[in-house]
Amino acid sequence: MSTDKKALLDELQQAVIEGDGEGAKAAAQKCMEAGIPPLETVEFGLRDGLKIVGERFEKLELFLPDMILAAEAGNEVMKVLEPAIGASNMQASSPGTVIVGAGKGDIHTIGKNILGMLFKLAGFKVHDLGEDVSATTFLEEARRLNADIIAISCLMTSTMPCQREVIKLLNDVHERDKFKVMVGGAPVTQQWADDIGADGYAETAGGGVTVALKLVANK
Amino acid sequence: MIDFFDVIKRALNGPYYSEQDFTLKIMVPKLKAVIKKYGIRYDPATPIPSNDQLADDVFRAGLELCTEVGCYCKDTSRVIRFTADEIQEALRDAPSQPFFGEGRDRKAMLARKPESSDPPYCYVGAGGSVVTSEDVFVRLVEGYGRNPLSDSITCPALTKINGMEIVAGSPLELLACIRAVELGRAALRRAQRPGLPIMNSIATGVTATGKIGGSAFGLRDTDCWVVGFTSPLKVQFERMNEVAYLLARGAQLVGEASEPIGGFAGGPEGVAVISVVYHILSILVLRSSVHLTFPIDIRYGCNTSWEIMWPISVAAQAISRNSHHPILNLAYTAAGPMTEMCLYEIAATMTTFVASGGNIEFGGVAKGTSQDRFTPMEPRFATEVAHAAAGLSRVQANEIVKTLIPKYKDRLSNPPKGAKFQECFDWDSIQPCQEYIDLYGQIKTELAGYGLKFK
Repeated sequence: MSTDKKALLDELQQAVIEGDGEGAKAAAQKCMEAGIPPLETVEFGLRDGLKIVGERFEKLELFLPDMILAAEAGNEVMKVLEPAIGASNMQASSPGTVIVGAGKGDIHTIGKNILGMLFKLAGFKVHDLGEDVSATTFLEEARRLNADIIAISCLMTSTMPCQREVIKLLNDVHERDKFKVMVGGAPVTQQWADDIGADGYAETAGGGVTVALKLVANK
Repeated sequence: MIDFFDVIKRALNGPYYSEQDFTLKIMVPKLKAVIKKYGIRYDPATPIPSNDQLADDVFRAGLELCTEVGCYCKDTSRVIRFTADEIQEALRDAPSQPFFGEGRDRKAMLARKPESSDPPYCYVGAGGSVVTSEDVFVRLVEGYGRNPLSDSITCPALTKINGMEIVAGSPLELLACIRAVELGRAALRRAQRPGLPIMNSIATGVTATGKIGGSAFGLRDTDCWVVGFTSPLKVQFERMNEVAYLLARGAQLVGEASEPIGGFAGGPEGVAVISVVYHILSILVLRSSVHLTFPIDIRYGCNTSWEIMWPISVAAQAISRNSHHPILNLAYTAAGPMTEMCLYEIAATMTTFVASGGNIEFGGVAKGTSQDRFTPMEPRFATEVAHAAAGLSRVQANEIVKTLIPKYKDRLSNPPKGAKFQECFDWDSIQPCQEYIDLYGQIKTELAGYGLKFK
């Protein structure tokens, strides 16, 4: 990679890390004008920047608002690059679509919010359904968005049955194969995930992204 | 202090914001601004600072933030705001020495100060952790009640009723709430302490319907009822409904707030300041008898890490130096029962809480998420450490905590699970096994060497 090209991609990466939407947009424009292939800009400028944000969050060097601003800066970058990349290539540049939500009865959102942000930083298209989400809503939204993964978070043992209910519903409507189901939340364990037939489980939000990437790779 | 009807009115008619705008455009920038204005800086070298100026600055920053930001009502997307005068009035009128319990177990919770030699109020038990059966529930609660240093009890949560898994919001939840109250009261009678207050209302319940319905089967106005905010600085009608019910009953409640480090409040400085805001909102919005502050490190699902100790201590110092409304601090360990790590974690948090001016709640063991993986021994140990820590200077406490955390900090991401209740306690006598007694004795001896004076 030439020095100039690297400098431009570094500028974009830095703007994304700082959550500077305007700066990121301008840097993306400069990359376009310098003839850097847009998918390369996504990979080595945007994606690497977002990855660094995720890593620094794990070390408590950056926090949830910083992740949100970085993701929004990433959206600005994509607005510049999307027309040049084209819809089909755009699809290829994202690992997949995830819907996230806290299960029926559960109003705890912070873990789910962090998971959603880390998914975004990893390049997933994320649709956050919020809290207290019924099994029916998970199904209907997964259908509407043609999601790859349904990720259900629960912080209470009494809301965990919702995770099983989603899987049961998918089986009942014969659509279990269409979606990968991930479960998580403080009381959720690998044993529970296995018992209810979930496709993926992780103890931490960071681990959830790793599991999701594996699930879409094997889909 | 303005009355609860005014609070409801503001929840219905206050300024409108989308939830994201309230958080990202109002709360986050104003929090950053007050941290900068008051020069609040995290010092990683000192988990328990002895700097009164820092504590008072954190309190002033919290007061200012509370006035500017207020509390977001999720049901109406309206902000409940209070003037500086209303906040001062609330701090003046807030309860300062509420009594809980009945008969021989009736006791006041004091608003302690940093370095106070007043023994802390000890609210102990399961921290709402989950059990597999009613038998385990009853034995645990009886065990908690038998600890002479227990001042009030936090019961476990049931996961099944009549063999059926409890589903939130279903009739099973309500029935399980009723069962949990009946079992809790029966267990405390077995412990010969029927007057001990059950302070976490009904951990089995999620909805106001479940808790209110269940409470009619044995909860008393002298117990207490934990009602919580949602992070960051938000409240739901579901919780305000519980407040309305409790006020009509003349019952007591603990206002609870848990702000994660790394979340919307940012790092240690933000968590310390926002903890002060919750304290004020707890008095005004939740009409609390006491306030429970529970910052947590979401990386590990506990609050025993090095980084979380500073905001816990600074917030407790800030509040206890500037408010007469009592505070509780809640501990969650990463490691499970009958492990050295778990006992070190308990010792570090109890020392921090007590030296910083707090009373204690203990607590969650093994992150409070593993069924039956907690016993009466951890709360007993916690109460003994908490009493031993009363009267320590912050400098002494800081040295103890700095000695303890390095013993386990590298294992926080992969802590030992430890033993389940059934594995380390005798089922019939509800006494710990010899291995656990030996470990407990060994760690207490070690802690005494660091300056904790066990009675």
